Amino acid sequence: MRSTREPHDLLGKLHKQHAQDRENDRTQTGSFPIVRKRGAGRSPNGSSRSRFTTSVLIVVLCGMLGFGFAIQINNPTSSYEAMSEDELTRLISETSTQVQNLEQRKTELTNQLDSLKAAADKQQEVERIAKENEETSGLLSGRLPAQGKGVVITVSKGSKEQIDAATMFQLLEELRNAGVEVMALNNVRVVTSTYVVETKSGLESDGETLKTPYTIKAIGDPQNLQNAVNIAGGVGSRLKVKFGANVQVTSSDKVIIDEVRASRSYTYAKTVE
Amino acid sequence: MAAVLGLIIGIVVGIFVRPDIPVVLQPYLPIMVVAALDALLGAARSYFERSFSDKVFVISFISNVVTATLLVLLGNQLGVGSQLQTAVIVVLGIRIFSNVSAIRRFVFQS
Repeated sequence: MRSTREPHDLLGKLHKQHAQDRENDRTQTGSFPIVRKRGAGRSPNGSSRSRFTTSVLIVVLCGMLGFGFAIQINNPTSSYEAMSEDELTRLISETSTQVQNLEQRKTELTNQLDSLKAAADKQQEVERIAKENEETSGLLSGRLPAQGKGVVITVSKGSKEQIDAATMFQLLEELRNAGVEVMALNNVRVVTSTYVVETKSGLESDGETLKTPYTIKAIGDPQNLQNAVNIAGGVGSRLKVKFGANVQVTSSDKVIIDEVRASRSYTYAKTVE
Repeated sequence: MAAVLGLIIGIVVGIFVRPDIPVVLQPYLPIMVVAALDALLGAARSYFERSFSDKVFVISFISNVVTATLLVLLGNQLGVGSQLQTAVIVVLGIRIFSNVSAIRRFVFQS
């Protein structure tokens, strides 16, 4: 029994040993699979061709990868398509709030602009009136030179006797009554305070001696002014008859009065606020 | 060699050409890029393991990109686009990390 079992055992042992040896002699490490050399059996022509094709494919694919990569990097705009519904809702509400705020701001600014425009218009109006006033008062006070339709009256030296101040002043008054706007006596601008007096050397007006012939430049309606001087029994005939002076009235379309006087400075009078 | 060459050419062309990406393709482009990057790193790993096969690389590259895109497309159709996009990115990111760590092991062992 024993002898029959022993060889059996030995055979089994040998078999096991052999298997174990084979196992131990294995060169495969397990972690690194053995790489068999490829391409040995293939024809060299087909191999190089397929290798070339795959290289080209690799180049193309990697090129596409690099291309897409570069594009994605250069594309900073966030795409709304990639956003979720919540994000989009939030974005919409944020945007509408912003829009509302901006609208409100716009309304405010528009109102401001309107008020500024109105103020500017008012300012302009005020300026216009001020300028008008300045012109009117400038002409009235003799501060500005004037020109316009009117007459030039020349009164020569009286042949019978010297023309007195009262008659000369009457002439000015008559012209004023006839609606003269601006006038000048010789080189004296006639204003509200103008006076005419007699002195030894002749007539004097506003501190200036008047020389004959007296020239009165008057701007106003030429017809009226002419009538005022030449009316029968008026100052014109008085000058002619009483003083023997030669009175000549020439109407002109353009009478230039460039005599001016400095505006008076007031010491006591003040404008009423 | 060919891969590096293609990558350089692609980046240079992409920087200088700057084309307008079609709107339909816009949400898929980043996913495609990440998937392709994963395939490229997988190829690099297999190169170091000396089991690189260009055919396998080409097929894995294309299938990676197409699968990722289709998955995101499906997600968009189902209304879970952003979540699925995140999932794809996470999985690809994990794969990229494992590939990189394998490459690193090879580089530093040799």
